[in-house]
Order: sequence, then structure tokens, then C-alpha cells
Amino acid sequence: MNKTIDQPNITKRRLFKKNPNKIKETLSDRIIHAVSVSLLIFFVILIVFPLLNYFSLAFNNYAFNDKIILWPAKLDLAPIKYVFSANSKDFWRSFLNSVIITLIVTFVSNLVEAMAAYPLSKKNCPFRSGILMFFIITMLFSAGVVPIYLLMRSFNLLNTIWSIILISISNVTNLLFFKTFFENVPSEIQEAAIIDGASPLQMFFRIIVPMALPVFGSCCFFTIVGMWNGYGAALIFINSEATEAMPLAYYLYISLTNGQAATMYDDFLRNYLPNIQAASMLISIIPILIIYPYVIKYIKSGATLGSVKG
Amino acid sequence: MEQNEELLVPKNTEKKKRRRKYWETQRLNLKRNKSILWFIVPAALFTIVFSYIPMFGVLFAFKDPAFDSAMRRGADIIGALKYSNWTLETFKSIFNDSFWLSLKNSVLINLIKLVFVFPLSILIAIQLSEMKNQKLSKLILIIICIPNFLSWTVVIKAWTSFFDPDIGFLGKLLSKATNGEIISYYEASFKPLFVFYSAWKGAGWGSILYYAAIMSIDKSYYESATIEGANKIQKAFYLTIPAIGGTIALMLVMMFSGFTGVGLEQLKLMLDPTNYIESQQTLDYYIYELSIGQGAGVSYVQAAALGVFNGLVGLLLLLGGNALTTKTLKRGLW
Repeated sequence: MNKTIDQPNITKRRLFKKNPNKIKETLSDRIIHAVSVSLLIFFVILIVFPLLNYFSLAFNNYAFNDKIILWPAKLDLAPIKYVFSANSKDFWRSFLNSVIITLIVTFVSNLVEAMAAYPLSKKNCPFRSGILMFFIITMLFSAGVVPIYLLMRSFNLLNTIWSIILISISNVTNLLFFKTFFENVPSEIQEAAIIDGASPLQMFFRIIVPMALPVFGSCCFFTIVGMWNGYGAALIFINSEATEAMPLAYYLYISLTNGQAATMYDDFLRNYLPNIQAASMLISIIPILIIYPYVIKYIKSGATLGSVKG
Repeated sequence: MEQNEELLVPKNTEKKKRRRKYWETQRLNLKRNKSILWFIVPAALFTIVFSYIPMFGVLFAFKDPAFDSAMRRGADIIGALKYSNWTLETFKSIFNDSFWLSLKNSVLINLIKLVFVFPLSILIAIQLSEMKNQKLSKLILIIICIPNFLSWTVVIKAWTSFFDPDIGFLGKLLSKATNGEIISYYEASFKPLFVFYSAWKGAGWGSILYYAAIMSIDKSYYESATIEGANKIQKAFYLTIPAIGGTIALMLVMMFSGFTGVGLEQLKLMLDPTNYIESQQTLDYYIYELSIGQGAGVSYVQAAALGVFNGLVGLLLLLGGNALTTKTLKRGLW
């Protein structure tokens, strides 16, 4: 009698004491975890430390440049003031160039690619795969620097911002992004719009574009970052003397190599050169800092998007 | 044999039938949806003018040096093409010593990248996904993505300043360690430094794709692996990496296709024009100098020939890498 009563009690106790779903982490696992967390923290330090160390120069007095570790050793706003003064006309000229280039390319490129992606996303588009191949081939093969350089030369566009703008508009990666998104727009909505008498143009601008705003957001974001930071095209098309047509990143690159020469006759410039350079670098990344919260949103949504799929 | 032929006959007619059906639907589609094709016109125009017309520049590679001199005198392209003769000599002359040196350097830099930087992104993603504190892992992710959004000018200038023996923190430490002797870290270790900078800029952002892929793996796999007694390293090698194999294969193929290039922007910044060292010479820099450089060695014909070579090698590497990954990992670009 006793045995039959006792047995369920024992199993019950065992179940509560040793839950098989909760296996205790072994020592080696805990060590690995600790190592990986400390490695990640090391990476974070490796990224933050040089940046803080460098950008502190922008707010520092030149005599105390060697005292900087993580923040300005002696606060001095002269470098920043210099960048905002009339002496830095070329800097602001190239800043304006970058703004113009970025705005035009972001608007035109994404509009044009989205428009091309719209018919390609439809199953009944004539010669769909052929047209798609026509765009994808340009991703696979390019003839190199010389032909495009000579083409721009024959258009008389060398040393103007238009060469950079025109070469950057075609963007097949974004086209494919748009295409995949448009394919997932429910066809019922489009059919309803057709019944209501919408023309293809109305359909695109009134229905497809408003629905695709998140994709437009991320495509525009990547175009903005690429155009603001990149100067591969400028290296090819813009002469190192053509200051009036330089995008900002390229101007900063040129001024780094020519910076020393300008300091010959100017004591202030000679002393403050590293500080002024740091200040102009800092100002050049402000537009990126402004849109960086978008990256954070993108990272978060990208990370959760993956988990929804699974 | 007989059986095979029997099988072949209906197959062939079916193919023909399918092809006829395809053209019939295309014709119908064209009839019904002609207006929709107008949407493609602007993008197609840009693609034709700035991608397809330059492809005819392949022709420059088959011209003799008279083309160069005509272009330098300011002739237009058609005129220079008429003025010069067709030849295959250029393709013999481009494979000289400086070409092999630059090819070797480019491939070496990319190999170092492949061995150290490529796994680093995967490692970061795995580590981040294993963290228990989700908020902290997001914060780390946000911070390590920052360098990707800075321009190369800022990245290289910040690091050279960091290495500076007078004002940089690391430079001061290094010069103290060597008793004030100025170290030229630059010349001895151009390639490792080059790869380090590109890792510093891109590894964090590169891990995002893997991180999203890992997050989409079903959590129950991990639970059952834990019950079976797998430790973290085993789980990473036998569960996570096979599960994100598709993403890895994709990135690998993309990397292969760019194996002859190293990134001109970064290279130009790290170059010291007054202090030329051999390890600086890479293929895209060599082509750049040949086509747009200020020196006397400018040769459009040679640069065009090298451009053709570069483009073809890139295409072959892409197709080959894709074939390789489809065969071994069963995943590819298409």
C-alpha cells in the first residue's frame, strides 16, 4: 500500500527539482560567453576611442594637443570658428556641392529606378526577363574607367558636378529592391484601382509609391550615405585643381594632401592645422549624424524582421 | 539507346510548343500592356548612355598608340578611332612587371581580407546573437556600425592622427615603448594596416546581414542541441553556420567578384606620393594612374585593355564562385 502512494510523489519531486528544459550552463560555456562579451566590448572601445581621441582635437587648444585622451584637454573654439569664418570658403563651396549632388541623385535615381521596377514586378509585363537581364548585365560587367572618362570628356562634363550626378543615377541594386517589394503589393488593391479607372501613372504615384514608402526610405538612405561619403567618381572626373566642383569628401581628401603647403605664411594656420582639419571633418559628418537615427531604426527592424520570418 | 531516342522526340516538340506559347503570351502582353513599358524608358536611357555605350570602349583596347596621341591632342573619340589602326599588340604589352606586381598585391590584400575580415563579421554576428541582454547587444550593434557611415577621409585621418607620435594616443604609447624613436609602422606593414582599416570600417556593418539571418533561425533547434549536450562552440559550428550558409555563400561570391580590386578611395588616402613603396601598387590604382594620372605614363589603350581584363576576370570569378557555392553549399546567386 505504501509503495503505490509514494511513487507519484517521488516523480513529482524529481520533476520539480530537475527540469530537463533548464540545463545549467557548463563552465566552458560560461567562459566562452564571458570571452565573447569582452571581445565585443573591446571592439566597441576600438571604435569609440580613436574617434573621440581625434574629434577632441576640434575643440582643443593647439598647445595641449598631446594631452588629449578622450575629451579636449583645454577647450578652445578657435578651430570651429575658423571653419565657419570667411577663410573656409572652399570648404563651404564643396559642402554645397555635396548637398546638391546628394539631393539630385537621391531624388532622380530612386524615382527612375522605382518607375522601372514597377512594370518589371508584374507577371504580364512583356519581355520581362529580357529587360531584367538588360539591367543586371550592367552589374556583372563594366568596361572600366577609361571609356567612361572619355565619354564624360566628350560631353564636356569633366570637372563639373554633373559628371558625378549622371554616373550615379543608374542603380540596379535599388531597382531589384523595389521590384521585390512591388511584387508583394496585393494585386487586389491594384485591380480595385483599375476598376475605379486609374491609369498606370495614377496607379504608380497614388497607390504604389505611398505603399512603398519604407522601401523608398531605406533606398534613399543608402543613396544619401553613398553620395555624401563616396568620392570614387570624383577621383576620376574631377581634377585636383577644380575646387569649385568638388564634393565635400573629395575636398577634404585634397586639403589633407595640400594642407601643409597653405600653412607656410600663416602662424595661426600652422599651429592649428590638425585642429582645423579635425573640426572640418567633424562638420562634414553632421549630415550623417542627423540621419543616423534612421540606421538605428533600420537595424532594429532588420533584426526583428529576420525573427518574424522564422 | 532506343529508349533514349523515344524520350527525346516528345521532349523536343514540347520545347518547341513551350517556346511558341512563350512568344504568343509575350505578343499578347505587348498588345495589352504596351503603355506600361514607358515606365522603363528613363532608367533604360541612363543605363544605355552610361553603362552600355561605355562598353564599346572595349574597342580602345584593340587600337595602337596613335589613339592615345590623338586623344591627348584633344580629338573626339570617333576621330581618334578612325585615325588609329587596329592591333593586338596592346594585350601583349600590358602583362609587364608592374602589372604582375599590382595583381599580386591586390590578390594578397584580398586574401588577407578573406582570411581575417570575412570571418570576423560572422563571429561578431554570432557573438551578438548569443548575448542574453538584448538591449546591450542592440547598443553594441549600433556603435560598431558607426564607422561604415563615415567617409574614408575621416577614417584614415582619424587613425593616422591616432598613430601620430606627437598628438595621437597610440602613437605616444608606441614612441614611449621605443624610447622616442619614430617608428615607421607605415612602410613595414602597409597591407595588414590596409586590411585593418577596412575591417574597422566595414566589419560591424557586414555583420548585420548575418545577425538578421541568425535571428531567423528557429530557436527550438538550439534548445534540442542544448538538451543533447552541445556546448556553445559546437552549436556555432554545427547549427548556426550551416543555417546561415546561404548568406555566407552570397557574401563569398560577392567578395570573389571583386578580388582584383581593393578600393581606390582608401588606397589613395593611404598612399604617400613622396615615399613610394612597392606594396602600394595595386591593380585598380595601376589602371587609375594609367588612365587619369598626371604622369607621362598615361595610356588610354593600355588602361582600356587592363579594364577589359579586369572586367572579364571579375565576371569569371563571379560565375566561377557562384558555380562553386551552388555545387558545395547548394546555394548561389540565382
